Amino acid sequence: MKLTRRDILKTAAASSAIMALNGSLPMLQDAAAAEPDKWVKAVCRFCGTGCGVMIGVKGGKVVTVKGDPNNHNKGFLCLKGALMPPIVYAKERVTKPYIRKNGQLQAATWDEAMDLVVSKFKTALKEHGPTSIAYYGSGQALTEETYLASKIWKAGFSSNNVEGNPRLCMASAVGGYVTSFGKDEPSGSYEDIDAATCFFIIGSNMSECHPILFKRVAARKQADPNVKVIVVDPRKTNTARIADEHVSFKPGTDLAILNAMAYVIIQEELDNPRFYGKYVNFMTNDKKKVDFKAYQKFLKDYTPEKAEKISGVPAEQIRRIAKMFASASGTVSFWTMGLNQRIRGVWANNLVTNLHLLTGQIGKPGATNFSLTGQPNACGGVRDTGGLCHLLPAGRLIKKASHRAQLEKQWGLKPGTIAPKPGLHTIALWNAFSEAKIKAMFVLCTNPAHSLPNVNMYTEGMSRKDNFMVLSEPFMDAETVKYCDVLLPPAFWCEKRGVYGCSERRYSLLMKAVEPMGECKSDVDILLDFARRMGVDPKVIPFKTVDDIWDEWREVSSVTPYNFKGMTRARQEKESGIRWPCPTEDHPGTKIRYVRGEDPNIPKDYKNKYWYYGYPDGKAKLWMRPYAPAAEEPDADYPMVLTTGRVIDHWHTGTMTMKVPELKRSFPKAYVEVNEDDAKELGIKNGDNVELETRRDKMVFQAKVSDVCRPGLVFVPWYDANLMINKLTLNAFDKGSKQPEYKICAVRIKKA
Amino acid sequence: MITGKKHTLTGLQLLIYVSCSFGFYLFPGQVNSGGLNHLIPTDDAFDCYACHKVATPKIAQNWYESKHGVMLMKCFVCHGQPDGKGSIPWTVSPDPKAVCQKCHDPAMKRMEAKFGINPDCVKCHPFHQNSLHHDAYKKTQSKSQ
Repeated sequence: MKLTRRDILKTAAASSAIMALNGSLPMLQDAAAAEPDKWVKAVCRFCGTGCGVMIGVKGGKVVTVKGDPNNHNKGFLCLKGALMPPIVYAKERVTKPYIRKNGQLQAATWDEAMDLVVSKFKTALKEHGPTSIAYYGSGQALTEETYLASKIWKAGFSSNNVEGNPRLCMASAVGGYVTSFGKDEPSGSYEDIDAATCFFIIGSNMSECHPILFKRVAARKQADPNVKVIVVDPRKTNTARIADEHVSFKPGTDLAILNAMAYVIIQEELDNPRFYGKYVNFMTNDKKKVDFKAYQKFLKDYTPEKAEKISGVPAEQIRRIAKMFASASGTVSFWTMGLNQRIRGVWANNLVTNLHLLTGQIGKPGATNFSLTGQPNACGGVRDTGGLCHLLPAGRLIKKASHRAQLEKQWGLKPGTIAPKPGLHTIALWNAFSEAKIKAMFVLCTNPAHSLPNVNMYTEGMSRKDNFMVLSEPFMDAETVKYCDVLLPPAFWCEKRGVYGCSERRYSLLMKAVEPMGECKSDVDILLDFARRMGVDPKVIPFKTVDDIWDEWREVSSVTPYNFKGMTRARQEKESGIRWPCPTEDHPGTKIRYVRGEDPNIPKDYKNKYWYYGYPDGKAKLWMRPYAPAAEEPDADYPMVLTTGRVIDHWHTGTMTMKVPELKRSFPKAYVEVNEDDAKELGIKNGDNVELETRRDKMVFQAKVSDVCRPGLVFVPWYDANLMINKLTLNAFDKGSKQPEYKICAVRIKKA
Repeated sequence: MITGKKHTLTGLQLLIYVSCSFGFYLFPGQVNSGGLNHLIPTDDAFDCYACHKVATPKIAQNWYESKHGVMLMKCFVCHGQPDGKGSIPWTVSPDPKAVCQKCHDPAMKRMEAKFGINPDCVKCHPFHQNSLHHDAYKKTQSKSQ
């Protein structure tokens, strides 16, 4: 269909006459919203921005939402957040338990379902030991849910096979922060946006993935036109609309660009020797401490001209952005999956942090290195409470005997209860499940049959008869439902109480707004019931309510720099989010970590302004990470690069957003974005069917031809269950963070 | 540069006028709902902006350059969807209580405290034309202009 404005206007007069004959049209809907009986404070169910929402309840039903004016979002919501209510009452809601019999899910009672689950887990434990069972959780589960599951496993079963989908999205950011500072999580906060004069956005389409933060950046630029925005992305996304510099590069070569920026910063004498001389150790890739001269020597391989040859970015543009970054009064860098979902994800994270350490653009208002998280509670639920196979709560590590001993004492366990060997990371865990080495798996609040990379490999494993999967999932049409042996109906979002902790270390309480549907139970109740039936010692799992779990978490964290002690439930009910560390009930929460006068972990009379207490000498680490190619670079057979991501309308596997009529209609199915030059060469027109083929699988998508992707790159959003791009993606992973490289694989495309 | 209220009204009239005509003539299976005629949503009708930059170019362009456009607050968030079966009522003039309040409740309360109740936000706040960055956007403006 091709219409010009002229064609349309030509028809207008005639058709309006016909309209007049039709008469006025009845309104099918009452435009006036019913005034809710009450507004209940909560947090948005979608991304890691963690916007506060007020849920409007009328007659015991969720009727509307609005932004929480007291939370960081100041009342604003993005289009997904504003359209949440229909999800709650979707016809696909799972409202009773199911057991798979003869290949079909059949309704069951809670007792029947839980008895079967428990018998499978008990058999696995008895016959194959604690390494044969696993928990696979989610950055969307509440903090209390993940803390509880992790404790049931690590303390109750002595099994460290506790993983979750944050391994697929944030593990490299954790690795980056931990290697650079000795401690995880960003040191700054969203308020840094309001004071920054330069934004360095790399590997992040903030505008579609963290819209309310993008709004804040845009508002900052609107308030001061001199504020600079640099967007480093091989796609010219909507985020690039506000960019002063859009840096398009050959996918995977950003490591060379970041090193070249450091080269320019030193060459232009925009570095800050007073800062790095006192607070930074220079480290080689093989963990040797060296001096600044060695770093300069390392950077000789990354002159802008050399980086241009690798990345395709003009040397002059690298010089310009390096100068912008270093000379601004305050630079905030943001990144997400473009850096994290890579086999060099940790290195890429380190290289961004290097620029901050080199310039001293850190630890002051408007200057920070900020990893944006993708899920509402990946930071607060999984990273902080230790819901991964190598972690214990509050930044402690399983492999460290002193950390295990400290926690065993806090938890009142017999010494040696926590197994000393970390469990299996996500890819290894699903490999083991596919080989039926993991016999019983508890999956909660996530959809791995859609979200794992190279997913055919894992769905094949999930289909086996000799392994067992119990799934707690609110929506019947989630892909993983096809493969589970038992399906449990969890209370959804507004039907339960608990905490979400967002990207800026802010923890906000979600109050229960309505009763759970049907026979749904909160995941906390499901897990407590599971622990009781499994015979876990009631002294280990003594909780009666979700608030009991929160209170234990406050105590457990209080001996660490995480320190949630002052974040009581009473405060959380009143306040719209508090940022940790928060050691006392009168502490307002922490905006900036590692800085005297801001971070309560640093004595007020400490001799230095900064203290990177994650390392014994109080110094951060600047790592010399070389450029290295992606796991699967394009070649003669597969000459293009495939990358994946989100669209603003949909979130993750679409199980929620596809329930909102407007969002479903906005993007009903996945598509492939093709550069206009490539399209011309391949004879592809907008709307044509195009076959994408990687070494894993092939699939046909409708083409969207534009200048968004650079030549040689194609993009497919990953939300669509009917066109799952993860059948084509690669499961190679970062050897440090174990996070897979979703963002780059080789592909060939042709008109279908 | 077109400004303010006058243009908004013209724009809204144009939206009703042209969207009715557009749907009626070219798509005999049009839907009548919410006081408007519009084409039946088809597989290729999911992008409001793609059609409206041809059908109602001024409105579409104003939205594109507005804060709502930059933030990708798309048409359906305020206007609902043409088949009237969405979660937001399908209408030209969104009801502030149903729609604007979701994000602008604090501002609405401030306005109410200052000036009393005025149910018509649009009268003073032309939401399609609240441009964001002025000069900062010159380089990235829509090619459809």
